[in-house]
Amino acid sequence: MRSSEASTPADGRDPFAGRIPISVITGFLGSGKTTLLKKLLRHPGMANAAVIVNEFGEESIDHELLETSSERMALLDNGCLCCTVRTDLQETLRDILTKRMHGEVIQFDRVFVETSGLADPAPVVQTLASDSLLADKFRLDCVVTLVDAVNALGQLDSLSEPIKQAAIADRLLITKTDIAGSAQVTELRERLAEINPQAMILEVVHGEVDPANLIDVGLTSRQTAADKLKRWIGPLGAPEQVGRPGLAGPPRHSTGITSFCLWFDRPLSWTSFETCMNVLTSLRGPDLLRVKGLLNVEGEAGPVVIQGVQHIFHPPARLQAWSDEDRRSRLVFITRGIEREMVENLFRAVGALRSAAAT
Amino acid sequence: MSTTINVGSQADRTLSLNMTLLSHHELDGFGGVGEGVAMQITKDGRHIMWLAHESAPKNFTAVDVSDPRKPKMIVQTDLPHAQMRSNSLEVSGDILAVAYQTKEWGLKPAGFDLFDISTPEKPKHIVHFDASGPYSRGAHCLWFVDGETVHMASGAPDFQPRDSKDDQFYRIIDVRNPTKPTEVGRWWYPGTKEGDSAPPVRRMPKFDSGYRMHNCNVYPERPDRAYIGYIDGGAIILDISDRSNPKLVSNWRHSPPNTGFVHTVMPLFGPQLLIVTDECTKDDGADWPKMTWVVDNRDETNPVPISTFPLPPAEIFAKRGGRYGSHNLHENPPVKAARKSEKIILATFFNGGLRAFDVSHPYQPTEVAYYVPGAPKMSPKGAVQINDAYWDDRGVVFCVDRFAGGLYALEMNI
Repeated sequence: MRSSEASTPADGRDPFAGRIPISVITGFLGSGKTTLLKKLLRHPGMANAAVIVNEFGEESIDHELLETSSERMALLDNGCLCCTVRTDLQETLRDILTKRMHGEVIQFDRVFVETSGLADPAPVVQTLASDSLLADKFRLDCVVTLVDAVNALGQLDSLSEPIKQAAIADRLLITKTDIAGSAQVTELRERLAEINPQAMILEVVHGEVDPANLIDVGLTSRQTAADKLKRWIGPLGAPEQVGRPGLAGPPRHSTGITSFCLWFDRPLSWTSFETCMNVLTSLRGPDLLRVKGLLNVEGEAGPVVIQGVQHIFHPPARLQAWSDEDRRSRLVFITRGIEREMVENLFRAVGALRSAAAT
Repeated sequence: MSTTINVGSQADRTLSLNMTLLSHHELDGFGGVGEGVAMQITKDGRHIMWLAHESAPKNFTAVDVSDPRKPKMIVQTDLPHAQMRSNSLEVSGDILAVAYQTKEWGLKPAGFDLFDISTPEKPKHIVHFDASGPYSRGAHCLWFVDGETVHMASGAPDFQPRDSKDDQFYRIIDVRNPTKPTEVGRWWYPGTKEGDSAPPVRRMPKFDSGYRMHNCNVYPERPDRAYIGYIDGGAIILDISDRSNPKLVSNWRHSPPNTGFVHTVMPLFGPQLLIVTDECTKDDGADWPKMTWVVDNRDETNPVPISTFPLPPAEIFAKRGGRYGSHNLHENPPVKAARKSEKIILATFFNGGLRAFDVSHPYQPTEVAYYVPGAPKMSPKGAVQINDAYWDDRGVVFCVDRFAGGLYALEMNI
């Protein structure tokens, strides 16, 4: 990250605007991703959506859907996402973008990427940050993770991928609640809130969901209103949560996932911040599952937005102005096995976080 | 591997990226607009768009775009006869200047008119500046942004070109007294006037379009410079500190090997760049490439091209119908009603529509938005031919079709 990469002055491009939103739909095998997509794509507001699906081992988006909706589809028909699709996804996105510019496919205004159930969604998210051509034209809007109410508790106890899928989500959709017991659903909700207190949790039956809950989750303007910014930074970054380790209290299950928010009362030096994050990403990159921040950087009029998944961070981008009087920097982490104290100590060591300032 | 379902690049389909249509006005069936697109903010605060028609029978049209979602045509005027066109206009304050070009030498009216548009519904004619002559078609294009001077591409009664295609040159007209416009200076490409001591110019081998002026742009940042597209003569910077005696500063030429027709030379003073367009004048890609150039102007005596705006392939767009290639820019006119940007450039490409480019990294300009309307009804080319563009002070983007489509108002989200 370099602060010089942050957004340009007012007559240039808004770093948040004018990019085609991408929603990543992930979830373990059989969690209902295809059912959800089928329903979503039939919604009138989705008439110009494109969808990139992976057919490996799962029910595919079939011809019925192609015929009953106006979407143009880009169908990935290769194997497992976790191995090879990162490259193919890049190619596919570039391909449909080029065809869009040439007028050879519909002028899609949104893309859904369905990952394989076995996939780690992090590489997909990273692709959108690290491929500069794609990052110029697309933005990650949200990660939607589907969790099957019937089977998920067992999967969360025994498998690492479902935990990671839940940990990096912006939206957690609990599916099949109609055939699971209510106690089971309640327990699953608690487990998910432990893993990811940042994500909105919704219950979904037969893929029926209000698309408004799944779109326009990311920032779309450097003049973002206070309420939207608050939703974006999430509950851990809310001032009323200062001093609390997490919304759900100490975890009762050893998923190894930890979430916390660091607050900084005084403006940060960009160099200190960058140093800390470089150390963190170098040493523990794979365990930084999701990082979001609004930073008060010395010399900047508005907050600088930070977003990262593991070792890949989007270029920092400036918002035009603070939306309220609370101008403290806040940095939200969802990690695998990185405790709050370690990150605090690191920031202290480089002088970015003073004891008095830390909470 | 992926498969996509192609719908083909069809001219009836609207293509858009980061631009949304707010409204479309067909100008009561006279939707052919030239390259005169200017905005007036009236004393009562209305935004009035003034449009010069591409050809007869209409002269100019004004549309109240105060609510860009509900444009209202408030006046539309006729030309005195069909052997002429207006094509170009500019607005400064409440004065409208309209160019007149005839189809043949010797016809009238040829030159320009000034109108008082303080009541835009009722333009009041102030004066006609006569540029007709035995070798003159009058004025093709003019620049009038300071209320004092009309810079125009025009013939003159006393100018005889060696080649008939070289009949319009640079004329500077003082209109500080709008009832008595007076020529204060002129410049023509050496060798193009009968009797010049300079040798005749080298004609373009493939398409000989002429050594004559098209656009002239003069800005308050450099009132001593005129930036001129001189068609086959290339991009020209003139020192006009002494208006009675303009002097050549530089002449950047890239044709041949290209096919000439330099149209607009727009300076960006902060980054010291020129944005230079070559107008496409042939259908079906016959004169491709017609590019928009980014030129390093740090040393104005030696402009150096460093990049071109990235465009969709000619193989695809040339087949959509009519012309495909560069033409006009939103020229950052130094008037209250216009948005100015030295980072985002709006450019028009006939059937390639309106496109916005980010030149923050001038070696690598990127396209950030486009709008290509589907073919307008009655379009003689079977495709839109977006001719000119305007970006107003509110951020609303406008573009016009050359033949039938009229006026499109757009919201840009970049």
